[in-house]
Amino acid sequence: MPDLYYVPGSAPCRAVLLTARALNINLNLKLVDLHHGEHLKPEYLKLNPQHTVPTLVDDGFSIWESRAIITYLVNKYAKGNPLYPEDPKARALVDQRLYFDIGTLYQKFSDYFYPQVFGGAPADKEKFTGVENALKLLDTFLEGQKYCAGNNLTVADLSLIASVSSLEASDVNFLKYPNIKRWYETVKSTAPGYEEANGKGLQAFKELVKNMMKK
Amino acid sequence: MSPKLYHFPISGPSRGALLAARSIGVPIEIEIVDLFKKEQLKESFLKINPQHCIPTLDDDGFVMWESRAIASYLADKYGKDDQLYPKDLKRRALVNQRLYFDSSSLYVKIRAICFPIIFLGVTEIQQNLKDDLNSTLGFLDQFLSESKWVAGDNVTIADTSIYASLSSILAVGWDISKFPNILRWVQQCESLPGFAENEEGAKAFGEAVKKNLKQ
Ligand SMILES: N[C@@H](CCC(=O)N[C@@H](CS)C(=O)NCC(=O)O)C(=O)O
Ligand SMILES: N[C@@H](CCC(=O)N[C@@H](CS)C(=O)NCC(=O)O)C(=O)O
Repeated sequence: MPDLYYVPGSAPCRAVLLTARALNINLNLKLVDLHHGEHLKPEYLKLNPQHTVPTLVDDGFSIWESRAIITYLVNKYAKGNPLYPEDPKARALVDQRLYFDIGTLYQKFSDYFYPQVFGGAPADKEKFTGVENALKLLDTFLEGQKYCAGNNLTVADLSLIASVSSLEASDVNFLKYPNIKRWYETVKSTAPGYEEANGKGLQAFKELVKNMMKK
Repeated sequence: MSPKLYHFPISGPSRGALLAARSIGVPIEIEIVDLFKKEQLKESFLKINPQHCIPTLDDDGFVMWESRAIASYLADKYGKDDQLYPKDLKRRALVNQRLYFDSSSLYVKIRAICFPIIFLGVTEIQQNLKDDLNSTLGFLDQFLSESKWVAGDNVTIADTSIYASLSSILAVGWDISKFPNILRWVQQCESLPGFAENEEGAKAFGEAVKKNLKQ
């Protein structure tokens, strides 16, 4: 059984949990105490010199970056599963959405929100617009299709839902985009084990944000 | 018909896709989209890519974007063998991890420094941005301390992507003398097909930054 080093509130960790549930893979969950610097200890740095969570260790093979992990899990444990299709064009579209998530949507959201949460900075209007623009793009991608890379649920939806749901902790109203609203409800009700894999951790993330913003 | 790449040589991601294609050896038809003239916002381009970014690939009517997804697609579809993007699951996961490292760390830190200088009238590089990039370069140096290339002992599309990003900041004159493994690898990269073509674009990028920097 692969080990997953994680923290429940982290969006990239939730994407991995969602994928594992969708594939019915059991993971040996290992909580990493970021607060006390457990990720900076030599044992952890040996697994992942970049010291991020999530990190997956599968039979001695250590890999990090959530999107590299989730595509690895499908390739290894469920080759050919529509969650990460094998047809080059279908796969290219899923990859494109994964890069949209890491490089645009989650990036713009982190740029806007994390300085407020972790650095006590005021909200920045321009960065807020950046988030809105990313959401508009997602809404466009979802036009006329059920999921973000076509009519099947894929790992791109699982990665994006982990990111987008995190916006619930902020003042960004992503549900005003009709396609996103529809997609959000669809993924919540069709991603296996959603509540367990993402809902719970999202709650933890919201509480963390609340506590940090109080300070 | 060869695949067509909508390209702008100054852009790091765009050069990343092209540099991958050069190693893969697939003939590419290039169409320049001049971002300085806002050609990406033309109706005809928006119709094929609502995200209006380059690089964008058109492979016989199949249109996709995101430089690293393009590199993966081209390597899977046109690669003579799987060296540049291994089929072996663990090696592929490692390549993907490095590609995500580039898209969310290295490239992002370089853009954070250069974008405000090229477009927003900033004339100096803030110390925290310098430190941020240098700590990311520290990770890259560490990856390279374990293998000849960034994801193992063979060249992969992680090398072409990361080199395209790094060459932009090298052209600005960034000091990498503290990173012996990166120095070694940069020399190796001179042997990549399309190296000179990439240098030319990177040089133009470097000039665009340097002309606005207070010396
Ligand atoms: N792009 C990475 C992001 C990982 C990441 O930034 N994780 C954070 C927690 S959400 C972390 O580990 N921070 C601690 C550190 O970087 O030292 C992924 O998708 O896995
Ligand atoms: N993550 C994307 C980034 C693409 C990107 O941001 N391209 C820029 C040039 S470096 C662009 O086309 N900007 C014009 C625009 O967005 O309107 C990739 O790797 O392809």
